[in-house]
Formats: sequence, C-alpha cells, structure tokens
Amino acid sequence: MIHTYQIITAFMGSLGFSILFNIKGRKLGYAAFGGMLAWLIYLLGGLWLSGEMTQYFISSIIVTFYSEICARIEKTPATTFLTAAIIPLVPGRALYYTMSYAIDGKFGEFAEYGSYTVSIAVAIAAGIMVASSLFRVFLALRSYDYRHHSM
Amino acid sequence: MVTKELLSYILDIGELMLVNGAEVNRVEDSISRICKAYDAKRVDVFTITSSIVVSIQLKSGNTLTQTRRILSYSTDLDKLDRLNNLSHYVCSHTPEAEYIRNEIEKIRIRRKYGSVVQYLVYGMIAGTFTIFYGGDWNDAIVSAAIGMILKLAITFIQRVDKNVFFVNILCSFVVGMLGFLLVRIGIGHSFEKIAIGNIMLLIPGLALTNSIRDIISGDTIAGLLRLFEAILVALSISFGFGLVSVFVGGMLK
Repeated sequence: MIHTYQIITAFMGSLGFSILFNIKGRKLGYAAFGGMLAWLIYLLGGLWLSGEMTQYFISSIIVTFYSEICARIEKTPATTFLTAAIIPLVPGRALYYTMSYAIDGKFGEFAEYGSYTVSIAVAIAAGIMVASSLFRVFLALRSYDYRHHSM
Repeated sequence: MVTKELLSYILDIGELMLVNGAEVNRVEDSISRICKAYDAKRVDVFTITSSIVVSIQLKSGNTLTQTRRILSYSTDLDKLDRLNNLSHYVCSHTPEAEYIRNEIEKIRIRRKYGSVVQYLVYGMIAGTFTIFYGGDWNDAIVSAAIGMILKLAITFIQRVDKNVFFVNILCSFVVGMLGFLLVRIGIGHSFEKIAIGNIMLLIPGLALTNSIRDIISGDTIAGLLRLFEAILVALSISFGFGLVSVFVGGMLK
C-alpha cells in the first residue's frame, strides 16, 4: 500500500518541482511522469537487485534514457525533464540526517550517514553519466549508419 | 567577425544559461560553438559556478577578453529551453548583434508561474513528500499548510537579507517551530514526517547530485564549489532545526 502511495506522490512531487522550475505546457506532464517512472523502477529493482545503490543506479539510467527520448520529441535539452524526474531519487532526507547528526555531535552516525548520502548521489550521478554517454554513442552510430546508407 | 558588442551578447547568453540552471559543460560548449560560428580563430572559455571568462583570438590577430561574475542562480528551465534554441539558431544563421540583443531581451522578460500557483505548489510538495516518506493524512495536511507558510517566510526573509545561510536557518526554524507546535496541539502526528516533507523544499539534494555529475564529467572545480554550497545549505537547515530543539528544551526527541 505504501508503495502505491509512494508512486502517486512521486508523480505529484515531480510535478510540483517542475512548476517551481518553470517548466511549461505539455513538458510538465513528461517531467512528472518521469518522476513516477524513477520511483517505480527503483521499487521494481528492489525485487531482484541486491543493494540499494544498484537500484538508484539502474533507476537513474532508465530515467536518463527516458529524458533523452522526451527531449528528442519535444526538441528541448534533456536537463528539462531530468532535473524534475530525478527528484524522488535525490538523497534529501539522508543529507538532512547527516547534517543533523553533525550538529548533535554524534560523529559515528554522521560518518555513516554521510557516506550513505554521498553513495546515493554518486550512484545517481554515475547512472546519469553512463546513460547520456551511451545515448550519445547510439546517436552517433545512427547518424553514421544513415550517412552510409544514403551514399 | 566577432566584435566587442557581439561578444558581450554571447556572454549574456552564457550567463543566463548558467543562472537558469545549465550545466557548466553546456555553457562552455555553447559559448565556444557560437564564437567559432562567427569565425573566431581560437576560443578559450572557462566557466565555474560564479564566473565566466572568455578569450577569443580573431583572424585579424586581435584578442578579445570579457568576463562575467555570477552572483545568484534560480532554476528556470523554460528560459533555459529558449536560450538553448537561441544558441542553436545563432550558430547556424550567425545573425546581427542587434537581433541577438532583442531575443535575449525577450527571454529575460518571460514570466514564472503566478504567486498563487507558487504557494499552492509549495503546499503540494510538502504534503506529498510527507506521505512519500510514510506520514499519514493528518501529517500531510499540516505539512502542506506549513509549506505555504514556508513560502511566505522565504519571500519575506529574502527581502531583508539574501544570504543563503541566513535564509535557510530562519526558514527551517519557522518550519521546525510550527511543526512542533502543531504536533503538540495534536493536529499532526509525527514531527519527523512533517519536517521531512518541508525539508525537501529547502534541502539541496538536487544540487548535491548535480555537483557530483559535474565532477564526474570533468568540471572538478565547478563541481567542488557546488558540493560545498550544498553542504553549507544542508548544514544551515539542520542548524535551524537545532535551534528549535534548543528553544523547546529537547522535547523534540
């Protein structure tokens, strides 16, 4: 049940941030759906992947592909969709706990949570980088193919 | 042929892109592409989050250098989209400087969503993330109400002082205090869930992720700057919450 709620709220949360980031018109829908997709993949990943970081990694790869495809459809930079869609994955809560442990002087928990937070951020960032590089390779291959057939 | 005037408009495009949330990579790339399109012999662009430096060598042998200092950003993906289109257009059509200036002006005056929508969205985000992290309906409603007050607080405090550290301490103090009071009265159930919903509006989780993206893609300095900004903001938010627990005498836990 909590998962259903989470998927719905992931959609609404991404929609909210899309509005704050001033995305307009049809792109709002794409961006919000991306947020939902991100969390859905994350949850599905939990079924057969071992390790939370892998879940974040895979989810951000798929969301990046999704954003790149939407970007081609809407003729706009992929960042537009990616920024909003990545919101449910982003380690906001973990970052907050890390810092509040630092302020409470609990340095053991601080170190533990800090490395956890950074790991999430690295997993997401790495996922984005891998997917966008792969997408660029794919585009290059396609245009290469196209040129050689047209000759 | 790049003139002084034209270069300053090109920098305007770069500056606006950076301010509105483009990656450092994209800004450097756009600026050097545009300059190359106007027949510059060599283009050197250096961008970090707070500054852009461009130096170009012309075919005639002269060198032009201009720099910009960037003081604040606010993500506006609508403007970024337009700027991106403009930079593509400029690259392929190399229009007169006058045309670029007019287009930049048009982009500059594009509006954000109205303030009523902004307030509602703050409420919505706070409420939805409270449920997302496991709060119940009572918590969500309290959290949404606090979210709207938070927007009011941000608008008000930013009028007095724009320092990020200061704004975040005060805002998270307001959120913490209200959350605590409403849970005490009995309307909200879990302080933690209410706080976390509102923290999502303040915390730089996205900035943290983007900074690591910058570092991985090779813009180490820009990435480190962003990383430290994110850490500083996160620290100030938890400092604000720390203040609340000082005020209420440790009744939070």
